[in-house]
Amino acid sequence: MARYILRRFLISIPVLVGVALILFLLLNVVPGDPVTLMMGEHIKPALIEAFRARMHLDDPVLVRFGRYMLGALRGDFGVSYKLQREVSGLIWQAFPHTVKLTIYSAFVSWIIGIPAGIFSAVKHNTLIDRSLMGFSLMGVSLPIFWAGLLMQYVFASRLGWLPVTGYYSIKYYIMPSVVLGWSSAGTVARLTRSNLLEIMKNDFIRTARAKGLSEPSVVACHALKNAMLPVITVMALQVAGLLGGAVMTESVFGIPGIGRIAVDAITHRDMPLLQGTILFTTAIVIAGNLAADIMYAFLDPRIRVEQANS
Amino acid sequence: MLRRIAVFFVAVMLALPICAFVEEFAEAAIAPGYENVLRFATNDEPNTNDPQKTTEYYAVNFQVFDRLVEAVTTGQGQSDLVPGLAESWEISPDGLTYTFHLRKGVKFHNGAEFKAKDVKYTFERMLLPETEAKNQDFIDPIKGAAEMMDGSAKELSGLEIVDDYTIKVTLKEPFGPFLASLATPGVAILNKESTEEAGTDFGLVPEKTIGTGAYIFDKWVLHDEFKVRRNDNYWRGAPELDGISWKVVMDADTMRMMFEAGEIDVFDTDLVPSQISYFTKSEKYADKLVVGNRMGTYYFTFNHDIKPFGDVRVRKAFQMAVDRKGMLDALFDGRGELVHGILPPGLYGYNKALPEIPYDPAKAKALLAEAGYPDGFEMTLTQIADNPSTLARGELFQAMMAEIGVKVTIDQMDEAAWYAVRADGKLPAYSGVWSADFNDPDNFLYTFFAPGNTVRRSFNFKNDALSNRVAAARAIVDPASRVKEYQDLERAIIQDEAAWIPLFTTQHIFVVGDRVEGFKVSWNGWSDGWHYYEGLRIKK
Repeated sequence: MARYILRRFLISIPVLVGVALILFLLLNVVPGDPVTLMMGEHIKPALIEAFRARMHLDDPVLVRFGRYMLGALRGDFGVSYKLQREVSGLIWQAFPHTVKLTIYSAFVSWIIGIPAGIFSAVKHNTLIDRSLMGFSLMGVSLPIFWAGLLMQYVFASRLGWLPVTGYYSIKYYIMPSVVLGWSSAGTVARLTRSNLLEIMKNDFIRTARAKGLSEPSVVACHALKNAMLPVITVMALQVAGLLGGAVMTESVFGIPGIGRIAVDAITHRDMPLLQGTILFTTAIVIAGNLAADIMYAFLDPRIRVEQANS
Repeated sequence: MLRRIAVFFVAVMLALPICAFVEEFAEAAIAPGYENVLRFATNDEPNTNDPQKTTEYYAVNFQVFDRLVEAVTTGQGQSDLVPGLAESWEISPDGLTYTFHLRKGVKFHNGAEFKAKDVKYTFERMLLPETEAKNQDFIDPIKGAAEMMDGSAKELSGLEIVDDYTIKVTLKEPFGPFLASLATPGVAILNKESTEEAGTDFGLVPEKTIGTGAYIFDKWVLHDEFKVRRNDNYWRGAPELDGISWKVVMDADTMRMMFEAGEIDVFDTDLVPSQISYFTKSEKYADKLVVGNRMGTYYFTFNHDIKPFGDVRVRKAFQMAVDRKGMLDALFDGRGELVHGILPPGLYGYNKALPEIPYDPAKAKALLAEAGYPDGFEMTLTQIADNPSTLARGELFQAMMAEIGVKVTIDQMDEAAWYAVRADGKLPAYSGVWSADFNDPDNFLYTFFAPGNTVRRSFNFKNDALSNRVAAARAIVDPASRVKEYQDLERAIIQDEAAWIPLFTTQHIFVVGDRVEGFKVSWNGWSDGWHYYEGLRIKK
């Protein structure tokens, strides 16, 4: 098992370096000079040259990439062009907000997705099933910014129940978590439903029914326990999806998380900040996948056995 | 066991948000501490609040710092220069030497007294290459500035400290708008000791960003909010507000909803022009609009190096083919005024008597035919991508040009690329707006038509005699002759040479919430600045 984890960990290193290299090259082939852009209308040309020299911007791309990676190894992702602060510091400031949003959204996606999946499976092929699946599908299909604006309009602007933006207490997180959680609830619901349906066909379920157990206890005690294993691992993977969704959600709801600073970095061609946020998010996604794999191995003994045999 | 760990993990994940619900749920509509704070929203995070290192984010600077000379609003879009940290000044008859008598007893936010050494420090810091200041333009006419900027001098030879409260500034050559340029936000006066001590934290860390202004820089949470609080020891008397805050909101619709939900007090439509008609057409907001003239001119350019724009007849045809009134109506609900030259109404030296440029597509077509293009031609209009208001202007231009047979393609470019190509003098045509940095015609004519600048802004204006006169006009000292020269130049460059297509000046519209009393629009070169101070209060 330890070897399995180590191997998976080692594989993720070239993935990260690869992402960093592609990102670095892409940002460097885009035409235009971010320095002229950030210097404003009154700057003297000599100062632009001095800035370029200080930032080593005239070195070959690969030299700069090497320098960047060496710094990154030490946790130094450079200084944001626009905000003039250390990129690593900016990311650490923003990260807790994104984590909070992600956890709340995951929670929402489960409390919508799991019951919806169970009801759909139990009431399989009825109107309830179809409407629940339709509702989950809607969450997946609605663009986050649109659903977000719509909710702001109804619940904040019209009804005045919730604040439009902010992140100061739990009530500020209700709308963003629902918008983001709803968007991934569909996956959870579909997976729960299909697994449960699959399990319900098994012999041990028939045995449980034959013992005279009521249908709810058959579902809850016997079927659900087995059906949830894959769902739980998918949830870990979903965290990656939620991080992606957080970019839009944070911008609409004014949460100063990773997604929000990434959007700002794109708008201002702030390369060090953009590189830093993307690399950091990549690392999180890789870690999420790793965790999902490991969790799956823990939960399903067959995988452990396979690993041990190989 | 392992399964239990997994179940525990899931249980913790589920329990976290529930625990968070225990947090205080009920909250007042106005957050505690903001009862007497004026709340704004902005859609862009400032890069810094160091006045020397920004050319666009002045909201905080105006509150936290003072300048030697201040520009105050005297009427719609009009300003006057009044004493600031300099109580009075004398200018030598040759226009070369300025003697400033500094105000006594003014305290910085850290308690230090403002003295002549602070002025010297401020100017020298701006000019030293290692500062990488972006506003050197405003003080580079001072003698010795060039030597400091190229690194060959460490002290400014043109600035002499006579005593603690008197400084003498000598210019290299006379520069008419020197006083006006000292009133720009970039030339705010800093405290020598605290700024040196703050180092690179100056402008970034609120408690290290020290000025003499009416408000003290209080708080800056990146991508969320920045705030200033009242300076009780302000030398003009403390303001009535406890403070001013700016919430950073990226999305235009979100910003509007925040205003409607009472989360912000003032909605600046300049930040999001797409919301103008929502407010101006609504009866609910009719008495909530506070309007001032924008001290800026919208325009279209053409590159005189690119055929057929070298031909003045083609340029004149274009000036006549644009229905500027129609454009103003369509884009800004008609709220503004047509401009026939380069200077907007209200600016010092504005020429009311400038003849109107008529909208006459038939005559424009005739002129094109005369220039050898009876069937028109094809051209490209460039713009920065993702800029809906520029695109709207471009599309109207496209339709108007089609009327005279010119086929316009709109090329949307990445912002950095657009600026780089423009600096090379290679952009074929674009549309923009220039707002005054300071109240003087030099800020308009020199910026666009001085030798060098005309290339950097992709005009490539070929009339060297006129370009040289624009540069020479800076040295005219007598006010009446200066105004006459600028007005003559404006007529020659815009009306005779048709070097650009002037469009209009617009209004700066604020929508003000119920709590706010006495909100005025300041002199509009910097309408996001100064006006938060006098007579402004929150209703109790």
